[in-house]
Amino acid sequence: MAESFRQQFREELDQVKAGLVRMAGLVTESIPRCTEALLSGDLAAAREMVEADSDVDSASLALEHKCHQLLALQQPTAGDLRELLAALVINYEIERSGGLVVNIAKSMRRIYPVELGPRMRGVVTQMGEESRRLFQFAIDSYAENNAGLAAALDDIDDRLDRLNHQCLALIISTEGTERVERSTGIQLALIARYYERIGDHAVNIGGRVRYMVDAWRPSQEVIEETTEDETESETEERAGE
Amino acid sequence: MTLTTQETPEDSVSSEAAGESFVVGESATPPGPEAPEPDVSSEGASEEVTPEDVVFRVNDLNCYYDDFLAVRDVSMDILAREITAMIGPSGCGKTTVLRCFNRMNDLVEGARAEGELLFRGVNLYDPRVDPVEVRRRIGMVFQKPNPFPKSVYDNIAYGPRISKTAKSKKALEEIVESSLRQAALWEEVKDRLGDSAMGLSGGQQQRLCIARAIATNPDVLLMDEPCSALDPIATAYIEELMHNLKKNYTIVIVTHNMQQAARISDRTAFFTAEVDAERQSRYGLLVEFDDTEKIFSNPNDERTESYITGRFG
Repeated sequence: MAESFRQQFREELDQVKAGLVRMAGLVTESIPRCTEALLSGDLAAAREMVEADSDVDSASLALEHKCHQLLALQQPTAGDLRELLAALVINYEIERSGGLVVNIAKSMRRIYPVELGPRMRGVVTQMGEESRRLFQFAIDSYAENNAGLAAALDDIDDRLDRLNHQCLALIISTEGTERVERSTGIQLALIARYYERIGDHAVNIGGRVRYMVDAWRPSQEVIEETTEDETESETEERAGE
Repeated sequence: MTLTTQETPEDSVSSEAAGESFVVGESATPPGPEAPEPDVSSEGASEEVTPEDVVFRVNDLNCYYDDFLAVRDVSMDILAREITAMIGPSGCGKTTVLRCFNRMNDLVEGARAEGELLFRGVNLYDPRVDPVEVRRRIGMVFQKPNPFPKSVYDNIAYGPRISKTAKSKKALEEIVESSLRQAALWEEVKDRLGDSAMGLSGGQQQRLCIARAIATNPDVLLMDEPCSALDPIATAYIEELMHNLKKNYTIVIVTHNMQQAARISDRTAFFTAEVDAERQSRYGLLVEFDDTEKIFSNPNDERTESYITGRFG
């Protein structure tokens, strides 16, 4: 980038980005820890996860405030404007993802002390890995301004969607049997959904990265395809808290 | 290099030839001074530009002062009833181009323009074109308010009197009132029309100059940094006024205030200055011309991006 007259402003924009990447790091790291707690029935770890969420929440609020301040005082334009607008939405997506990890921890406490069967453990393990991987890619694409990687996230997310369906099929096929109680089945379905939603947020982050880098916007068809599904999921997500 | 002409009041309004056509000896007149009816369905009109919407068509315009090439390769269409903003650093040629639009550069020794500059389909630099009539049809408002040292009334009546457009005293009074109303100044001055215009505030003086330009029933208003000498309130008044005026007039504005360009204009032209290494001189050029929203959210050219985000190209 060329020499800047607005060095101070540029630095503040970089600070916002660094803050978001750091916050996203907390969420990324919490996903495998949460899966581990779920599989091992570690209540103490689950409580820790629930408590740690306030760190993400306060970081998110502070970064949102910083974005509002820069918008009000610096009148950003062009690439700077897109970067800030993207940051505001990405901030929300990261905060929501953190909330979903906490939802998983809470669901785990509700099914405790049920032991999961080997097939269910396998699916949950894969969902945990897959959602962590997607989230990591999303944040990498943001940190590196990598619009190509950002655009690939939607396809990568297909695998997580399939795992979600696989998990639901497994619950239905075993529901009411001795191995899975109905209430446990419901919690497991929610857990699968929470993982799957983390993937959706990662895809959304990718969309904002593409906007930031190339001013890309989804076409009308894409919007119609996804809207219905998303609204439904948002409600579920909040209800789980 | 900057222009050193002293703008005399006559430049903006006077017209000794009262003919409808500014092309001397040509009977086929371009569309008259009446602005065409505003197109009600003008939303998204930029996609279907009809020839009638093009007020100025600029093709490969080069402006010289003697041998010095000041601006090169400017091509752009200025559309009717839109505000077109021209932005860029000092020395980028935006004012030079603006002054070509009503041949103000004719008054500068050695100034000449090459290339094509069509106003409503007529070549402005055709030798048969009467520059005085051009300036009546294409009014100009300058950086510093420049009222005549006359009464408020006489300032507005000056142009119509010279061009003999008013048939009676009453008709002239109507022109004065309607011009002042359009310039959002009537309420403030209606009881002091006989007072000297020099007693008005800066913002009022600038609106008076806009009213004076409107009084000759122009098609286009050119504005050269019209708010740079005004405070934010007076600036907001002028911006609001421009927004209302564009229903009837085509406006081209040069501004150093990028936020102003973003707020008020439909389309923005970004000019910059480049150094000609061989000739050891600088020349201006048009870098990018597009919808204002596009320029300020996602410009195509790296130089535009650098300028509007406050970086050096």
